[in-house]
Amino acid sequence: MRGAFRVVAPLFAASSAVSSRLSPALAPFLPRNPPSPLRRLFSALPPMSNHSPAATPPSAAVSLLESSSFEKQFDDFRVQLEESGNVRERIRAVVMELEAAVRLMHSSLLLVHHTAPNSEVLDKARAQIEVLKGVFHKLTDILRECPGQYYRYHGDWRSETQTSVSLIAFLHWLETGNLLVHAEAEKKLGLDNSEFGLDIEDYLIGLCFMSNELPRYVVNQVTAGNYDCPRKVLMFLTDLHAAFRMLNLRNDFLRKKFDGMKYDLRRVEEVYYDVKIRGLGPGDSIQEQNTQA
Amino acid sequence: MLHVACGRRLLSFIMTTKTQHLHRIATIQGFGKKPRTLTTDDSPIRVEFAQHVDYLNHLNDKRERVVKASRDVTMNSKKVIFQVHRMSKENREETLAKAENDLAAVTNQYMSKLVKELHGTDFWKLRRSYTFAVQEYVEAATLFRFCKSGTLLNLAEINASLLPLTEESIEPLQINVLDYLLGLADLTGELMRLAIGRISDGEIEYAEKICQFVRDIYRELTLLVPIMDDNFEMKKKMETMLQSLVKIENACFSVHVRGSEYIPLLGSADPDYSFLGLADTE
Repeated sequence: MRGAFRVVAPLFAASSAVSSRLSPALAPFLPRNPPSPLRRLFSALPPMSNHSPAATPPSAAVSLLESSSFEKQFDDFRVQLEESGNVRERIRAVVMELEAAVRLMHSSLLLVHHTAPNSEVLDKARAQIEVLKGVFHKLTDILRECPGQYYRYHGDWRSETQTSVSLIAFLHWLETGNLLVHAEAEKKLGLDNSEFGLDIEDYLIGLCFMSNELPRYVVNQVTAGNYDCPRKVLMFLTDLHAAFRMLNLRNDFLRKKFDGMKYDLRRVEEVYYDVKIRGLGPGDSIQEQNTQA
Repeated sequence: MLHVACGRRLLSFIMTTKTQHLHRIATIQGFGKKPRTLTTDDSPIRVEFAQHVDYLNHLNDKRERVVKASRDVTMNSKKVIFQVHRMSKENREETLAKAENDLAAVTNQYMSKLVKELHGTDFWKLRRSYTFAVQEYVEAATLFRFCKSGTLLNLAEINASLLPLTEESIEPLQINVLDYLLGLADLTGELMRLAIGRISDGEIEYAEKICQFVRDIYRELTLLVPIMDDNFEMKKKMETMLQSLVKIENACFSVHVRGSEYIPLLGSADPDYSFLGLADTE
C-alpha cells in the first residue's frame, strides 16, 4: 500500500512540477515543437501569459492604480449605503412608534360610534394628537441629518401619515363641522413644509379614509337618537366630494380611494332619506310641516 | 409655497369671475347639468381644493415631461450600445469614435432635456419616472469607457460630466448611487455579448479581460446589494449577472481547452485541420 503510494506520489510531484514549469514567466522559453499530446497544453499558454504578474511592469503599475481606484469607489459606496441603511433603520423604529400612537388615537375615536356626541370622548382623542406630534418631531430630527431626502424614505411613513390625517380630520369635523385644511393639518401634526412637510397626496388620501368612516358614524348616530346628524354629514360629504371632483387625478391609489367616496356618499344619502321620510329629523316632523303650511 | 401663492391668485380669480367659473364646473362635471353641491363656489372647501388642483396638475405635468424626456435618453443610449457592439478588430477606432460622438449627443441633447425638466427639484420624488433612462445612460457610458480604455467609469466622473448641463443657480441632477449600480448590473449583460463576439472574432485576450472585469464587478456588488434601498430589482439583476459571468467563463474555458485548434480557426481564412489531431507536417 505504501509502496503504491510512493509510486503515485512522484507522478503527482512530476505533474505539479510540470504545471509549475508551465508558469507564464517561462512559457516563452518552452520549445516550439514538443511531443504532440502535450502540444495543445503548451500552445494554450501564450494567450494566458498576458495575465501574468511578471508581464511588462508599466501596465502592471497602471492596472494596480486602476484596481485601487476601482475598489475605492465601491468601498465609498459601501460606506454611503451603510449610512443610509442606518437612517432607514432609525426611521423604521420611529414609524413603529407612530403606528402605536395612531392605533391608540383610532381606538379613542372609535368611541364616538357608541354614543351621541360627547365632549369627553373628543377630549381624550385630542390628547393623542400631542403624542403624534412628538413622534413626527422625531422623524423630522432624523431627516434633518440628510436634507432633500424626504421622498427617498417617504414610503416608510406614508400609510401611517395618511391614517393620522384621517383621524385628525375626523376629529376636527366632529368638533367644528368644518374641513381640516392642509395648512392646519400640517400645524396640528407639528410639521413644516420647509423641512418635513405633509405631502398633499397623503393629505388627500387621509381625507378619503375619513369619508370611509362617515357612513358607519351616521348610522350609529341615528340609532342613538341623534337625528340631525345625517343632514350635517350629507352637506359636508357632498361638498367634499364635489371639491374632489375638481381634481385631475392619475390612475393611482388616490384615484381609487376617491372612487370609493361616492359609495360613502350614497350610503349617507340613504340614511338621510330614511330619517327624513319618517319625519324623525328636527323640523321634519309632519305636524311641524302642517303648521308651517 | 408655490401652491399657496397660486391659491391666493386663484381666490381673486374666483371672486371676480364667479359665473364663468360655475359654468366651467358645470360643463366639466355634468355636461351642462347643475353640479351636485349645496354650497356656493367660494366655500372654504372649494377654496382649499383650488390650491390642490393646481398642485396636482403641476406635479403630474412635470412627471409626464420627465417621462417623455426619459424615453429619448433610453432610446438613444441603446443606440450608443448597439454602435459599440459593431466594433471589430478592423474597424475599432472608427466605431469607437462614432460611439463617442453619439454618447456626447445623448448627454448634450437628451440628458440635458431631462435635467431641465426636473429643474433642480423632486429628484427623489420623481425618481421612478427617470430611473430607467439613467440606468440605460450609465450602461452606455460605462460600456463605451471600457471599450476605449478597459477601465470602469466612476460615478463621480459621470456626475462631473453632467454638471455643465445645469445653470449654476439651480441644483444639478446628480445620478445617485442606486441608479448607478443598477446601470452597472445591466452593463455586465452587454459585456457578456461583447465577450462572446470578441471570441468569435478571434480576440481571445480581450474576452479574458472582459471576463476578469465582470468578475470584479460581480464580486464588489455582492457586498452592496444587501444594503441597497428596495433591492428586489437588484437581486434579480445579480442572478442574471451571474449567468452572464458563467457564460463568459465557459466561453473562455472552451477556448483554453481547445487551445491551438481553436485560435487559428478563428479570425483567419486559412483552412486548418489540426482539430482532427493530425500533425502539421504531413
